[in-house]
Amino acid sequence: MARTGLASRLYTGEANINIVGRRKTWFAVAAVLVVIAIASIAIKGFHLGIEFAGGTSFSIPAHTTDGRTLTQSEVSDAVTKAITAVDPGAEVDAAQKVGRGGASETFTVRASALSASQAETAKASLVSDLGVPADQVSDDQVSAAWGGQVTRQAIIGLIIFLVLVMAYLVIRFEWRMAAAAVSSLLLDLIFTAGVYSLVGFEVTPSTVIGFLTILGYALYDVVVVFDKVQENTRGITAGSTRTYAEATNLAVNQTIMRSINTGLVALLPVGGLLFIGAGFLGAGTLKDLGLVLFVGMGFGVISSIMFAAPTLSWFKDHDPKIKAHNARVLARRSQAKSGDVAPRGQRPATAGAAATGGETPAMAGSTTPRPGARPTAKRNTNTNRSGGRPGGGNRPSGKRH
Amino acid sequence: MHPGRQLAVLGLVFVVLYLLVFFAGGASGSVANRLHPKLGLDLVGGTQATYIASVQGGQVPSKESMEQARDIIENRVNALGVSEAEVVIQGDRNIVVSLAGKADDQLKDLAQAAQMRFRLVTGVTGDVSETALNPPSAAPTPSAGASAPAGAQPSTGASAPAANPGASSGGQGGGEVMQAPTPTPSASAPATPTPGVDQEVTAAQVQQKVGPAAWAAAQKLTGPVDLSTDPTAAKPFAPFAKLNGAEVNALTPAMQFNIPTVGCSQLDQRPNGAIDNVNSQVIACYSGAKIQLDKAPVVGNDISKASPQLDQQNGQWVVSLDFKSEGSTKWAALTRQAFNATQNDPCFVAAQSLSQGSEHCAVAVVLDKTVISAPVIQGVLTGTSQITGQFTAVSAKQLADQLNFGAIPLTFSSGPAQTVSATLGIQQLKAGLLAAAIGMALVAIYAFFYYRLLGTVIFMSLILSGLLTFGALVFLGRTVGFTLSLAGIAGFIVSLGVAADSFVIYFERLKDEIHEGRTPRSAVPRAWVRARRTIISANTITILAAVVLYIVSIGAVQGFAFALGLSTILDLVIVFLFRHPIMTMFANTKAFLSPRVSGLGRVLRRPPTEAKEA
Repeated sequence: MARTGLASRLYTGEANINIVGRRKTWFAVAAVLVVIAIASIAIKGFHLGIEFAGGTSFSIPAHTTDGRTLTQSEVSDAVTKAITAVDPGAEVDAAQKVGRGGASETFTVRASALSASQAETAKASLVSDLGVPADQVSDDQVSAAWGGQVTRQAIIGLIIFLVLVMAYLVIRFEWRMAAAAVSSLLLDLIFTAGVYSLVGFEVTPSTVIGFLTILGYALYDVVVVFDKVQENTRGITAGSTRTYAEATNLAVNQTIMRSINTGLVALLPVGGLLFIGAGFLGAGTLKDLGLVLFVGMGFGVISSIMFAAPTLSWFKDHDPKIKAHNARVLARRSQAKSGDVAPRGQRPATAGAAATGGETPAMAGSTTPRPGARPTAKRNTNTNRSGGRPGGGNRPSGKRH
Repeated sequence: MHPGRQLAVLGLVFVVLYLLVFFAGGASGSVANRLHPKLGLDLVGGTQATYIASVQGGQVPSKESMEQARDIIENRVNALGVSEAEVVIQGDRNIVVSLAGKADDQLKDLAQAAQMRFRLVTGVTGDVSETALNPPSAAPTPSAGASAPAGAQPSTGASAPAANPGASSGGQGGGEVMQAPTPTPSASAPATPTPGVDQEVTAAQVQQKVGPAAWAAAQKLTGPVDLSTDPTAAKPFAPFAKLNGAEVNALTPAMQFNIPTVGCSQLDQRPNGAIDNVNSQVIACYSGAKIQLDKAPVVGNDISKASPQLDQQNGQWVVSLDFKSEGSTKWAALTRQAFNATQNDPCFVAAQSLSQGSEHCAVAVVLDKTVISAPVIQGVLTGTSQITGQFTAVSAKQLADQLNFGAIPLTFSSGPAQTVSATLGIQQLKAGLLAAAIGMALVAIYAFFYYRLLGTVIFMSLILSGLLTFGALVFLGRTVGFTLSLAGIAGFIVSLGVAADSFVIYFERLKDEIHEGRTPRSAVPRAWVRARRTIISANTITILAAVVLYIVSIGAVQGFAFALGLSTILDLVIVFLFRHPIMTMFANTKAFLSPRVSGLGRVLRRPPTEAKEA
């Protein structure tokens, strides 16, 4: 592995990719995607599963006219065949055996809603395929198993959660971070919902459960990034080496490997679910859950890097204190530029390529991971830490010795 | 804390959890049986019951009322525990409820008809059936007879103004009550028949059973027999004590009220719907006394919404009622009648027996066969009204649920419970577990690749997490009915992956510290302090999500929230009691920094290599 390659610099937290500086690009991309997602949800809506939309339930006797007992998979296959023949787009659930044994046992199978004539045709082909008495095969409308009340309560829960988590983040961080974190979460949810609407994946209870899992996960990722931002920017106004956006960018770079690791570590089991669920079983709970988690967590990782931190720096740049600080840093830098800052110019070529195109070339310069620059950076962070948390860093180690 | 001690605490957690798994919460059977988590409907099948709705007049029930009934039945099922029940409407009038495992008992009363009636209390008499049959040798005090059953009377969530046992001394209100229609044997209570449960019993059959003498004596009664003056006065009515619920129901309301040997236990056994009839007087039991209730001018259908509320002034739970516009007028009329009653009104006397010193009449809130409360009306009420009583948060919600349920004009009869097979079955369960294995293997491979030997720590903590989760699932499945569906299993697989992440946070911190030139010995505790802060903040959010969703939501979402909270807490346990002490111990070994062990040395070795390459 090349020690100066991107992978290595990612590993040591010095990839120095200018992410925050290109925030206008990310915002534009996000805005376009949000518009597409919302438009799709509004116009196209969701493809709701039987559990939400209700459907038709078939009841089939478990014993054939010649006395044979049918198996669950036999019935499932026959019903799937009969129903897809009349309505190719219909969903069919697995068969369920009902009864306490004996002649009265039946199978019930649920499928998407069918018209009366479709159901009649399906019934006729079931009778001939399975060899069951025609008068005992019946169809019925079934309601949604997932009531509107469940959805309503879940949404109320979601809103209460957002309010509480906002309060928590305000206390733990500050209101701008809270707002940035929650808007990044909302973005995740809208994107994921948008993908579901656009692609037309079926929405089942498992999908909703997976969707709610994303809630915690997306915020979790953002909190980790913001924790680092908070650490890097503590007492930032005291010095004048970095603007807030630059310090944020540094934090994002320092945690980027963690974000990628986290993303991979969390997505690997989800990928396993998706692989088994979709690959071997075709459809069902595993696929539904795997899919929504894969989409949502993927967006979670991307948005915590590309959206949450840039949003935060944008909010922060409107804070008068930070505004004044940024102006001072830039002023000082332009002064220094005419003086002697030569070593800072010697950046590795790749880092330079990654940093060009940003609106503030100075940003990349100030965070250049030159070994020579390291002592400065180190001293800075140390001062910041001991300033922000008196003795906090050393106490535990002292206790252990 | 010393790392060894933390590991010891973890060991203790394990021992306690698995002791609970093997020996507590109704563990029984073989080792394998004790290790079975409660699996969901989709994996192992369960029990299914169908409830058939009927409306008076045999029409098809409206879609809205079926939906309402479905919601309420679902609420009732979910109140049974953290299991994922399935409630669907099938066809026009069937509600099908499925529960995991063997659940015949739980399914029995789910769709109990709930008919709400508001009736003026027009008479009160003690339930003296016990003393009536066995007159005590000593002179009986009437209150003894009345108070004994009072204690045994189960209160239905609302224990509102308790009846004053002393006030029920024989037939105080009886004289006036006799404005009740003259008993005619043909006036058998127009009960809604419950198919297959009770057979219709006619008054003639009862007359035959008790014998002509007792029947004649009962018909002559004009008020409750006063046993306080003559303890043996109940003698002629002894045969009535042998009647069952259906037979008692065949008696006229006045007879049910007046005959001393007809007691609350018999009245409570009357078939469902026995006192539903809006246009007749009925007899019910309340706080151990028999009460006579007037026709019901206001019914559940008049309520638009009932909700539990905390009274801000006195901190007590009340149930708030909103009436529909027509219902509101009727309710105002009923409360006006109760409020303006004069001393000569029978209801006035009855109210005084219920609660001494009351100046107005009481209105009984009757749900099915049960008087939920019988508050004395303190004003003419229009619009929103409140039912007060000794409610707790739970009983207030329960009553509100029942009232909402009572607002639905449907009666349900239930078919027999049946077993249903799993929809997904063992094959899918196996596939799920295979997916888990693949996922875990991928995480392990990645961890070993990226963190070298330290991947072992991740791997071991995942295994420990898995064991803790499994133990907790088995134990909770037995105690709170936590049911594991395939979605739940998938959720736990995912949460294990997320759990591995708290290690990533820790390790990346460690890397930062070493990168800044610290020795592993000092870097580990420093990284721990910082990572701990991050891990706790991040997990707090997840736990917050779990708690909010658990409290607010219902059904499958609630089950999910429970699983989420559980796995997050277990993650914290593993982080604090396993990963941290293990890492502390690792840091003290020489091999810790070697690239082969941790990959950590790389951050240190970089400058020389770079110099070489440059």
